[in-house]
Amino acid sequence: MVQIVISSARAGGLAEWVLMELQGEIEARYSTGLAGNLLGDLHYTTEGIPVLIVGHHILYGKIIHLEKPFAVLVKHTPGDQDCDELRHETGTRYLVTALIKDKILFKIRPKPIITNVPKKV
Amino acid sequence: MKRTREEVDATLLIAKLNAAELMPTVHCLSFGPGASGAAAGDFCLLELEPTLCQQLEDGHRLVIRGDKDEQAVLCSKDKTYDLKIADTSNMLLFIPGCKTPDQLKKEEAHCNIIHTEIFGFSNNYWELRRCRPKLKKLKKLLMENPYEGPDSQREKDSHCSKYTTEDLLDQIQASEEEIMTQLQVLNACEIGGYWRILEFDYEMKLLNHVTQLVDSESWSFRKVPLNTCLQELGPLEPEEMIEHCLKCYGKKYVDEGEVYFELDADKICRATAHMLLQNAVKFNLAEFQEVWQQSVPEGMITSLDQLKGLALVDRHSRPEIIFLLKVDDLPEDNQGRFNSLFSLREKWTEEDIAPYIEDLCGEKQTIGALLTKYSHSSMQNGVKVYNSRRPIS
Repeated sequence: MVQIVISSARAGGLAEWVLMELQGEIEARYSTGLAGNLLGDLHYTTEGIPVLIVGHHILYGKIIHLEKPFAVLVKHTPGDQDCDELRHETGTRYLVTALIKDKILFKIRPKPIITNVPKKV
Repeated sequence: MKRTREEVDATLLIAKLNAAELMPTVHCLSFGPGASGAAAGDFCLLELEPTLCQQLEDGHRLVIRGDKDEQAVLCSKDKTYDLKIADTSNMLLFIPGCKTPDQLKKEEAHCNIIHTEIFGFSNNYWELRRCRPKLKKLKKLLMENPYEGPDSQREKDSHCSKYTTEDLLDQIQASEEEIMTQLQVLNACEIGGYWRILEFDYEMKLLNHVTQLVDSESWSFRKVPLNTCLQELGPLEPEEMIEHCLKCYGKKYVDEGEVYFELDADKICRATAHMLLQNAVKFNLAEFQEVWQQSVPEGMITSLDQLKGLALVDRHSRPEIIFLLKVDDLPEDNQGRFNSLFSLREKWTEEDIAPYIEDLCGEKQTIGALLTKYSHSSMQNGVKVYNSRRPIS
């Protein structure tokens, strides 16, 4: 049988990340892949409403405290240099890298930013 | 090449947003150089119940268990969960170092621009649903090589299969605590580091030694002294086995520094019935009840209530009969269990079927709910009976 262990990467406090949920999908221009690209600016209004500006779109969302939190699990396969201390364990294992207890949900359609023809002198 | 505050402000201007209505801190989000989709399998999201989350925070570990042909389960120290992948059409981005408005309000913002790199993204997450531990295999493994006593041929043969706690954790889709509880239910015993089920006849032999001693010494069943038992029976069987038998069929207590056991009459009556019934396909109920009462130690009173989940009475045959039907010999999954019960008997009263489906009830599920889901009810001579929803082949 296969037994895969899920354990904390570090003893002590786990990092807390945030989950952002977007409707649809983000694609990179020219299909270059998303790695290294800018997504956009995330602001909060003084009332705490998240506002995301992506390209020529504004999205308004809300913060949701998750009743069921998430754990981010990163897979480690034996042979990775960084799991020397786990040598006695055989096979794949997952390390809990962070916990996620809050989600920023953008479920309303993005609003386009209408830019006027620039008034150039 | 990091975005500057000027660039952020210029974008706000174009977007016609009033900076005065926004909190001073902005997150500039970008995909890290290694950011990738979870589809590649290097990382994933696991949805947790708050209690499991707490356990991870406390440094406890979780284990995914399953063979290639089994549905994977996730086990904590004491519970078992079905593990399923939930897909979503939305994009889930994991963002380290991102602050919520509440957090920003608390810490007097020193920095008004936070550059955060998105770790990765996903279209699914792992979902957990509490399930019953899959324990049927435990008995099957231990029955490969039951313990018949120290001098049996089997013990001299070193090739017979034996399982340590570690071996069982590696074979059974259940949490450690659930496995340990089931080992107790099975009257299993740790012998030389291996978990063993006593061969039924051997277990009965041990029990007989004990009850005969109680009888000849004229002890009360409520006060059986451990030390005298070991002294008297030690020459017949290993002391650990005698103590194990006392533990299985009694409750340990200490009185004035002396260890005693209070024997459980229901358990002993049940074991005696098991012994009588296993040698016959069917038994005339009236005859059985007579023989049974004569076979139990004096002072113990037999009652059919003691046989729930072990034997079934057929009141419709003439004469009435009783036969062995053990719940742990029936399938473990709900549909399979009902199929095999309905192929055994077409119509069941709730009283008769209850002991055979009780263990299928989930956390908040009742026997009534299970019957509604898997059976069809009707009235027969003023009694409510349950039969299969579909034809049984």
